[in-house]
Amino acid sequence: MKLTERGRAVGRSGRLREAAWGYTFVAPAMVLFAVMGLYTIGYGFSLSFAEWNGFTPNWTWVGLDNYADLLWRDPVHAPAVREAATNTLWVVIAVPVLTIAISFPLAVLLNSVKRFSGVLRSVYFLPHVTAGVAVYFSWQYILEPNGAINTLLGALGLGSLEQPQGWLGNPDTALGTLVVVMVWSAVPVAVLLYLAALQSVDPAVLEAAQIDGAGWWRTNSAVVWPLVRTTTLVVGLLELRDALQGFQVFLVMTNGGPGNHTNVLGLQTYTYAFQSELRPTLGLASALGWLLFLAALLIALLSHRATRKAA
Amino acid sequence: MHRQRRRVVRPATLFTVLLFAGSLAACGGSGGSGGSGGDDGTLTLWTFKQSHVAALQAAADAYREESGVAIEVEAVTPDEAFVTRTQAAAQTGDLPDLFETHIHGDDFTFGGAGLLEDLSDDVTDEWLSRYSEAVRDAGTVTPDYYEDSLAPDSNLAGIEEGQRFSVPLTMGTFGIVYADAERLAQAGVTEPPATWEEFIDVLAAVDEEFPENGGLSVGLQSPTTGLEWILQPMAYGQLGQDGFEALFSDDANTDFASPDGRAVLENYGEIQPYWTPGTQTLPIDQADLSFAQGESSFLVGGTFTLAFLEQNGFDTDNLMTFPVPAPSGGAIPELTLAPFGLTGLSVSATTGDKEGALGFLEYMAAPDVAADFAQAALDVPSTDLGDDPTQAVGPVLGQMMETLSSAAEAYNPGDTTYKPSGYDGEEVAALLMEYTPLARTDAAGAGGEMADLITSYWNQQR
Repeated sequence: MKLTERGRAVGRSGRLREAAWGYTFVAPAMVLFAVMGLYTIGYGFSLSFAEWNGFTPNWTWVGLDNYADLLWRDPVHAPAVREAATNTLWVVIAVPVLTIAISFPLAVLLNSVKRFSGVLRSVYFLPHVTAGVAVYFSWQYILEPNGAINTLLGALGLGSLEQPQGWLGNPDTALGTLVVVMVWSAVPVAVLLYLAALQSVDPAVLEAAQIDGAGWWRTNSAVVWPLVRTTTLVVGLLELRDALQGFQVFLVMTNGGPGNHTNVLGLQTYTYAFQSELRPTLGLASALGWLLFLAALLIALLSHRATRKAA
Repeated sequence: MHRQRRRVVRPATLFTVLLFAGSLAACGGSGGSGGSGGDDGTLTLWTFKQSHVAALQAAADAYREESGVAIEVEAVTPDEAFVTRTQAAAQTGDLPDLFETHIHGDDFTFGGAGLLEDLSDDVTDEWLSRYSEAVRDAGTVTPDYYEDSLAPDSNLAGIEEGQRFSVPLTMGTFGIVYADAERLAQAGVTEPPATWEEFIDVLAAVDEEFPENGGLSVGLQSPTTGLEWILQPMAYGQLGQDGFEALFSDDANTDFASPDGRAVLENYGEIQPYWTPGTQTLPIDQADLSFAQGESSFLVGGTFTLAFLEQNGFDTDNLMTFPVPAPSGGAIPELTLAPFGLTGLSVSATTGDKEGALGFLEYMAAPDVAADFAQAALDVPSTDLGDDPTQAVGPVLGQMMETLSSAAEAYNPGDTTYKPSGYDGEEVAALLMEYTPLARTDAAGAGGEMADLITSYWNQQR
C-alpha cells in the first residue's frame, strides 16, 4: 500500500517536474511575447490618450482628445484624416477585388497547364520574392515621364495614353497606379493559395459537370468558383488588411504626393509619428493606429461571419 | 502532494517571473548617465548630415592632438532615423555627447526636453565674436521663440527665454537658382535675370532652345520647396517685409486670398509651363540629381545644394547662380538673401565630459578650423572669414558666400516668427501645388484654401 502510494507520489512529482521544466522552457517565448506584444500594445494604447514628442521624460495626458481631434474636432487634423480615409477606402476596395479578379483565372490556367507548369508557377511567383523597397524604386523609374511605360505606349502608337508628368505625377493616375503596383505584389501569394485550393477540388465533380455539358467557362464559374469560396475570402481578407494598414509603397513611391493625392491612413500615421517636425503628435499617431486596428477588427469579424456562412 | 508540487513549481515560477520583471525593467530605461565621456574618454557626436561626417571627423582628429579629447563622429541618417534614434536614446539614457542639430529646430526641441546643456553661461562674447554677425544669436531662445513655445502643440515646449542650446556651425539660405551656364549662353542668356519677369523670359528662352531638358527642377515631393524656396522670396520682393508677413496672418484683407495674395500667386503661376515634367514626384536629392545629370537646366535650392551638385559630378564652373528675383515694380526691386544659421553644435545634458565637448565647439569656431571644415564639406561656415572668404574656402564656395547679404531689407528665410506656432508648411504648400504644377485650381482657389488653412492654425494657437 505504502509502496503504491509512494509510486503514485513519485509519478505525480515526475509529472510536475516535467510541467515545471516545460514552463521554464516556454518562459523565454512568453517573455518575448510580453515585451514585444503585451508591453508594446499597452504602451501604444496608453500613448493614444497622451500628447508626447518622444523626447520629454513625461507625457501630457489628454484623455480622448486625440481621437476627437482626428475624427472631427481639429480643423487641421480632421480634414487631413478624412482625405486620407477616402484614398484608403479606394485602395481597400480596389486591391482585394483586382487581386482576386486576376489571381483566380490565373490559378485556373496554371492548374490546367501540363507542361512547364513548375517553371510558369515560379515565374508568376517572382514578384512576391522580389517585392520590397528596391522593387518600388524600380517601379518609380518605369513610371517616370521618360520611363518604360510611356516609351512602350509611344512605340505602340498609343501616345495619347502617355502621361507627360509620369504616372505618379498626375493626380488622376497616381493612386490607381499605386493600386496596380500593390496588386502586382499581391497576386503571387493569392495564386498560390488558389492553386492549393484547386488541388483539393474533387476531379469527379469536374468530370460530372463536363458530362452534363458544361464548358470551360461554366465549369469554372458555376462549379470551381463556389468550391474555392473560402480561399477567396481568405485572399480578400489578407489583401484588405494589407491595403488598410500597409503604407510602405506609398512612402517609398510618392510619400503621399503629388500634393496629398496618395496619402492614406497608414502613411498619415507614419507622418504623425516621424515626419511632424518634432511636434508632440506621437499620441495622434497612436490613436490613428488604434482606429485602423478597430477598422481591421471589424472587417475581420465580418469576413469571419461570411466564412462561416460559406462553409 | 501540495508541498511536493510547490517544491517543484516554485523555482520555475520564480525564474519565469524574474525573467519577465527583468525584461520589463529593461524596457523602462536604464536611467544611466549616457554619453561616452568619462568612460574610455572618447566622446561621440551624432550628425544627420552625411556630407559633414568626414569634415567633422578631420576637425575632431585635429582637436584631439591639441586637447587630448577624442571624438568619434557618427552619421545618423535620414532625418527620421536621427529623430527616432534620439528619442530612443533619450528614453534609455544613451545620448551621445555632442549633436549637430538644425538651429531653431532640433536644438530647441531637444533642449526643451532637457536633453541638451544650456550653453548661455559658457559661450563668451569673445567666442561669439568669431561668428558672422547675422548668426551670433542663432541657437539662443529669443522672446519670439519663447512665445511660440507656449502655444499648444508647439514643438518648442519647455524652452526658456535666454537659454542657448547650440552654437552655429553652418549658415546659408534658400531661394538660390542654379542654372546651367552653357545652355543659357546657347539660348542667348549671359547675365542673371534681374526681375521675376526676366526670369520667366529666361526660362522661356532656354525651354525653347532645349525642349527636352530646358526646364526647372525642384524637389516638390516635399511641397515646401515650391512655397519656401521660390514663392516666398519672390513675394517678399513684391510686397516688402510687412506685406509679405501679412500673407500669413488671419486678416482677410492681407492674406493669400486678398488681392495682394492673388497677385503673388499669379506671378508664381507663370512658372507653370517650365517645370521639368514629373518634378512634383521628386524628393529634393533626386531633383538635384536630375539637374546634375542634365535632365533640367534650372534648379532651385539653397547654399547647401552646391556641395551636392559637385559631389554628383556637376562642373561647378558651369553654374550661373542668382537669388529668386523680385517682380519689377515690387517693394524691394533688388532682392537679396540674408544668411541664417542652418546647423549648430550642441552638448548633451548627459555627457561625462562637458568641458571637452565645449572645447570642441569653441575649437570649431576658429577661422582656420572653420575654413578647413567648409572646404572639406563644401558648406558655408558660420565663422566670419573676413572680407575675402574666397581666399579661405576657394572660389566656388567663396562666390556663394559673397551672394549672401547683410542688408536690412534682405529676405531671411530663417525667420518664421510671423507664422502661427502650429503652422505646417507641408500642408500649406500642398495646397499651393494644386495651383502649380498640378493645375487643378486657379490662383483665387489656391489662395482661398491656403488662407483658410493658415487661419485654422491661428485658431488652433488660440
